Amino acid sequence: MRVALFVTCVNDTLYPGTGRAVVRLLRRLGVDVEFPQAQSCCGQPQFNTGYRREAEPLALRHARAFAGYDHVVTPSASCAAMVRDNYPRMRRRALDEGRPGAAAALADAVDAAGRTVELTEFLVDVLGVTDVGAWFPHSVTYHPTCHGLRMLGLGDRPRRLLAAVEGLELRELPGAEECCGFGGTFAVKNAAVSASMGTDKAAAVTATGAEALCALDNSCLMHIGGTLTRTGAPTRPLHLAEILAATRAEPHPLETP
Amino acid sequence: MNPVHLGMPAFPRGAEAALGDATLRGNLRHATRTIRDKRARAVAELSDWAELRSAGAALKDRTLRHLDTYLKQAETAITAAGGQVHWAADAAAANGIVTGLVRRTGADEVVKVKSMATQEIELNEALEAAGIAAHETDLAELIVQLGDDRPSHLLVPAIHRNRSEIRDIFRARMADRGRPAPEELTDDPRALAEAARLHLREKFLRARVAVSGANFLVAETGTLVVVESEGNGRMCLTLPDTLISVVGIEKVVPTWRDLEVFLQTLPRSSTAERMNPYTSTWTGVTPGDGPQSCHVVLLDNGRSDTLADTVGRQALRCIRCSACLNVCPVYERAGGHAYGSAYPGPIGAILTPQLRGTTGELDASLPFASSLCGACHEVCPVAIDIPEVLVHLRERVVQGGPVTLGGSRFHQRPAPGHRAERTAMRAARLLLDRPALLARAQAAAGRARNHLPRRLPGAGRAWTDSRDLPVVPERSFRSWWQEQHGAAAPASAATPAPAPAPAADGPALAVDAAGPPTTIRPATSPPAASPPAEAGARAAEPVGSREGTGDRTLVLTRLRAALRDVPRHERPQDVPVVRDYRRSHRPGTAHDAVELLAANLADYRAHVHRCTPADLPETIAGLLRRRGTEVALAPPSLPASWRTEGVRWLTEDVPLAELATADSVVTGCAVAVAETGTLVLDGGPAQGLRRTSLVPDHHVCVVHAPDQVVDSVPEVLERLDPARPLTWISGPSATSDIELDRVEGVHGPRTLEVVLVDRGPALSGRG
Repeated sequence: MRVALFVTCVNDTLYPGTGRAVVRLLRRLGVDVEFPQAQSCCGQPQFNTGYRREAEPLALRHARAFAGYDHVVTPSASCAAMVRDNYPRMRRRALDEGRPGAAAALADAVDAAGRTVELTEFLVDVLGVTDVGAWFPHSVTYHPTCHGLRMLGLGDRPRRLLAAVEGLELRELPGAEECCGFGGTFAVKNAAVSASMGTDKAAAVTATGAEALCALDNSCLMHIGGTLTRTGAPTRPLHLAEILAATRAEPHPLETP
Repeated sequence: MNPVHLGMPAFPRGAEAALGDATLRGNLRHATRTIRDKRARAVAELSDWAELRSAGAALKDRTLRHLDTYLKQAETAITAAGGQVHWAADAAAANGIVTGLVRRTGADEVVKVKSMATQEIELNEALEAAGIAAHETDLAELIVQLGDDRPSHLLVPAIHRNRSEIRDIFRARMADRGRPAPEELTDDPRALAEAARLHLREKFLRARVAVSGANFLVAETGTLVVVESEGNGRMCLTLPDTLISVVGIEKVVPTWRDLEVFLQTLPRSSTAERMNPYTSTWTGVTPGDGPQSCHVVLLDNGRSDTLADTVGRQALRCIRCSACLNVCPVYERAGGHAYGSAYPGPIGAILTPQLRGTTGELDASLPFASSLCGACHEVCPVAIDIPEVLVHLRERVVQGGPVTLGGSRFHQRPAPGHRAERTAMRAARLLLDRPALLARAQAAAGRARNHLPRRLPGAGRAWTDSRDLPVVPERSFRSWWQEQHGAAAPASAATPAPAPAPAADGPALAVDAAGPPTTIRPATSPPAASPPAEAGARAAEPVGSREGTGDRTLVLTRLRAALRDVPRHERPQDVPVVRDYRRSHRPGTAHDAVELLAANLADYRAHVHRCTPADLPETIAGLLRRRGTEVALAPPSLPASWRTEGVRWLTEDVPLAELATADSVVTGCAVAVAETGTLVLDGGPAQGLRRTSLVPDHHVCVVHAPDQVVDSVPEVLERLDPARPLTWISGPSATSDIELDRVEGVHGPRTLEVVLVDRGPALSGRG
């Protein structure tokens, strides 16, 4: 089984700790994960803002970078959803536009999309584990991000993984299924509405009193976390991978980096 | 753009203004959250919701792919049933037709049933300009009309008003349009509903012309369906002489049976009820019952343009339930007015830019009014993938592409104001498509990490005004991995692959592999390649003409052009519709169905009485006595033994004013539906005219169990004849128009008493 890490451009550039955590976690579980250097962005910012044609080269890059891997594992629900939902759409649109050459090239991207899985799917469905041997003696609240919740349909996978973490106290997040308001370029194009949604989400997070806010998308955590620190709230945003990677031997410091 | 919404600011500015209004924010938050939870409960009652949703989507897709065929079928059926069909290509044509029809009757006022189509075309303004007063009779529409306001929600147009604001509007403005509000009017929703009842009743009783929309138009039978709660719809649909129904062409469903899907999904999605209090269906003219002159105006107004777009056309599946508004976090904060059209919320954000085009600033901003969270898609009862269409329309705005507007296909240029963004997106892509370069940029950012500002200038302020920036790490993941493992990636994939030999259809990659990242080599074909015939700006292709039968030819020609992607040999039945939803949700015996009916009737505040056949006369007499009824109304076919002695019985053919003096009405019914607590009257024995069971405030309805009880909506549709005018009654009249909270009692009977006559198990047996 050849497994590749699709770290995503946001994690690569801003949250390398999440990528390192995935590597540590998967190796602990006996998976020899590789990092194809040719990978980059899945094209989501371009696609979702209306620049579908700009996303095409990035989709083709995704296909080349991950050719030959059985599983492409990513610590981002929203990038996984982009790849799985929208690469097939991009191919269909190219066909509709009378661009069979482009559509044929994008068929490889659709093939790669079929092998792309979000981290919790890989753990629960492919490896068949929910107890990954993690230790995280802190209170945590979980925000299911929209793409994981509604596009990927991750269901209770993240919660089952969290529930098996030793020492972790899971606190219910009121209104958990409501969008945090990030939405990519929405955050700047409709800044007032986005900020209002972020403020409400941050308030719900703060009300739980949890030490950490956990999610499967660092982009959403960047938005909620940026709102939390602006108001001086102590809750630390943390990707699920970093919690699952933490052990007694290698504990997570849970400090602002 | 219509005058009412002319000069509206782009969505972000309208939304920002709404966010600053604390009362509005509180009203919307309270109302949408109330209905959100109720809807979830109503939907959870049906184990086959997913199947109903898929079937609804498939039925609408079948209809849309063959819309021209179905419209002609509907036209034939309506005409055969004594109705008249008119075709309107746009708002002006529709307004002209309606105004002309009203003038021909000599009336100077009309009563109106809540209708999105007439809001869209701004019919009220057109009628007022022609000297015809249009009285809105839905409670929320009345609130909006009296307040000189604009609607802000599909289902509850006055959702932005709370009860005390409504009381103030009634007090200040009711007198301007008729009967004033009572002196001591409070903000109790019951009192507000009562004030509306009194204010509107005189209008209902004198109106000669009514204008309605329709929720559905059944092609095979020509039957129109109006779903409502308050009874104002029934008043308008049955009391006047002339009825004009303005129906969007996408409201068609192929067959009578197909209603079995939508009459389950619509009420649960919109008012979160098993069934809305009243549903009226009628087919053309019924001699002696209801309006004797029935007109149907089939409205295009951008719908055929929307249909021409294979991605965007799914917006025409919409059944206007408003579930997407109620779950939308953006709508909850921005309010309905920011959307600048009759269609607010997520559905408006994909419908308005298609119906009106994206050339206006507001219309061009609507596809961006979403975080793409997908909550709208999740609750949509016809599975419209609103995020998919939003992204598709964003592309139309920023990149341009093939568009149909007013029946003309052309290649639309990008909307102004996106040049910098377009450049940035391309530059970002070029950087991201060069991992080596990306690594250098990441390293540079890492070195500068302690010198980056906490607040960004210019466009970046939109982020840092409310959020801190993330802390840039010293090194990227990529560089960490290289240090750990060495750069062992295959070199061929580390840089962009050379562009493949240009295919005839243009390259998939508009990438200059050799050039610096800021150099953009133009693609060899326009970004959004369109078929050669339509390439170039506004190569307008005039379609159809207005000669002959009004806009009939024009609309049908536009539809056929819009459906050019549908293979010529495809028949409607070739579009698959899987009916794997349940015929009934109640396993068990007939006896259980009666119990369920009784429970569901009571749940929606009908009073249920059980008796044997022998006790029926005394049971009715007791109910009338307790009510203090002196004058009662009865259809001629009411059994003599049901006519309590000592009560003065009116026949239903008395003048309306006299009919309105009846304290009570006693009827039978055709059939009752256990799962929804619904009674259906079809004008058969002991039921009489539609107005008979409507005007008195107290309705006693006799149901023979178990013969007249069926389980479900699919079962009841099988038993009913669409040629007869039907009234579906689920509890007393009600409204959710004040803060989306249900209040019983508006225009229809405020007290519904159901007498379940049980023959007993020995005699039961269902055929």
